Amino acid sequence: MTEVVVRCSGVTRTYQDEAVPVYALRGVDFEVRRGEFVSLAGPSGSGKSTLLNVIGGLDRPDEGRVEVDGTLLNDLSQSELSDMRLNKMGFVFQAYNLIPVLSALENVEFIMQLQGVGAAERKERARVALASLGISELEHRRPGELSGGQQQRAAIARAIVTNPVLLLADEPSANLDSGATQELLELLQRLNEDSGVTIITATHDPMVMSYAKRRINLRDGAIVEDAINEALPA
Amino acid sequence: MPLKLLVQLSARNLTRHKRRNFMLLMAICVAVAGVTFMNSLIRGFQYDMQESAVANLTGHLKILDPGYLDDPSIQKSFELANDWQPDIAAEQLDGWAARIRIPGVIMSERETRGIQFVGVDPAQESISFLGDADYDGEPLRDASDRRVIIGRALAEQLETKVGRRLVIITQGVDGLNREMGFRIAGFYDAEGTGLEKVFVFTGIKTLQEMVGAEVFTEVSIKLTGTPKEFSIKAVLSEFFTGLVVLDWKELEPQAAAMFLFADAAVFIWFLIMMGALIFGLVNTLITAVMERVREFGMLRAVGMRPGAVIVQVVLESTFMMALGVTIGLGIGVGLVLWAGEGIDLTQWAQGMEMAGMRSVLVPRLMAADLILVAGLSMVFGVLASLYPAWRAVKINPLEALRR
Repeated sequence: MTEVVVRCSGVTRTYQDEAVPVYALRGVDFEVRRGEFVSLAGPSGSGKSTLLNVIGGLDRPDEGRVEVDGTLLNDLSQSELSDMRLNKMGFVFQAYNLIPVLSALENVEFIMQLQGVGAAERKERARVALASLGISELEHRRPGELSGGQQQRAAIARAIVTNPVLLLADEPSANLDSGATQELLELLQRLNEDSGVTIITATHDPMVMSYAKRRINLRDGAIVEDAINEALPA
Repeated sequence: MPLKLLVQLSARNLTRHKRRNFMLLMAICVAVAGVTFMNSLIRGFQYDMQESAVANLTGHLKILDPGYLDDPSIQKSFELANDWQPDIAAEQLDGWAARIRIPGVIMSERETRGIQFVGVDPAQESISFLGDADYDGEPLRDASDRRVIIGRALAEQLETKVGRRLVIITQGVDGLNREMGFRIAGFYDAEGTGLEKVFVFTGIKTLQEMVGAEVFTEVSIKLTGTPKEFSIKAVLSEFFTGLVVLDWKELEPQAAAMFLFADAAVFIWFLIMMGALIFGLVNTLITAVMERVREFGMLRAVGMRPGAVIVQVVLESTFMMALGVTIGLGIGVGLVLWAGEGIDLTQWAQGMEMAGMRSVLVPRLMAADLILVAGLSMVFGVLASLYPAWRAVKINPLEALRR
């Protein structure tokens, strides 16, 4: 068990936009330790989502190294990356991305089905996850029958039910009102503090940033600030 | 591979876009039902043609003098011993008929025609069309009957009536012409004017007396159930030394060719219908995949392997096809049962006769055809899903999630 969960060294990612290279990330170096709650902040186009995707193995850097829980992602095949994401990471997406034909319980369960967890254990763990997020009474409802906040809770339950090493959240509050956002952030904070889940979130929502213990500011693909959130109790 | 999850997802995805999926399901049902019904008509046509070929004095197998087909005359006749029938299991045998069939000329008071003059034992002719034929007047009584029966069409040509006398000239075994007067016992109806104009029948003993020898020109054998022509043909060839044994396909090559064509027609019809359907299926599946780009992106992002994505799309197509095939087969079988008595094609009777068929087309269901339709439809369903599945796998999770 290493203390460093994420280590990025000289990570560069370039996109080709009409023959002009766009530098989404320029030699980013940083580490995230186990149990940290980090917000990647910055204006649109600063590279925060790209960095989150590179850490999540959804995108590959052109240069530099990315390690997650001691595994170098650069060397992994697509299938190995799939396994890595399945077993070590949890994802919370901006648009929830629940499967509309499955109930909330089944949406949480299915990720364990991919892992090959037995039916009884699966159901029990999914119910515990939904209960911890306060929506156990909604387990039989399909996403279309849930509010935005409830859907995001179900999505978080899906992300944490596998006990991931790392929880990645891309603009998790983008589709939520301020009340639901606050509930979500309190939830993430509780998960981080009580369960020790390492969380990295990409956001430009100041409210989300205020809940993170550490804030990394990016601009033009480079880290311009890496600071502890002094407003939070140590 | 989380097969249970994929089955669950695929089955439930069929409930999305109910109207579109219903329309596709209906298209599959119509195609499968149409193919099933059409195949049963083709099979009905095929086996009716075979039965007609077998029943028009050919039988499944026939024993002949080697030169008879080239020169069908009394000179190509043969004798049969009293115990001439070899042992063939009774359950394989419908019956035997030994005949004389030679060319002749028939004359009424008004007309003269060339005919095939056939001496038969009526007791043996249950294996030919004579057994079921309708008569004006009466059929031949026995092998010694000295009267003739002629076809209705020939009777019209000869402008004669039941009870009148006709004169028939044919050649005897000595090569000299023999002439004999016969009274008409009856006119037969052969469900086709071709046979009625050609064949004139009398008792075989009468014809043997006329040609001057107790000889035969053919022995016809009709088998039961699924004909085992090849094995029985070998037994007969060994038994009847000096004679040839031919099966109905060799004796009726045109009917045999049509029989083979009908086999091909079943496949061709299936391929046309399924070929048209497959475009609709591929189109619908691609639409379904493209509508769910973000979902597939999410599934890939959280760790679903590409193989599982392919299986999911293939399963969706397979489920849709399985449902459509089941309902379609049910409708198709229902249509066949509904048309069980046959479809009356009297107005096209002349054309049907040319194809050697009766004027009522009775559909015929064959288990092998149903299995073929079901099996190949499922194969087509899987093939149709491969391209949409490939499109689903090619979805970039990153781009999909940005939508």
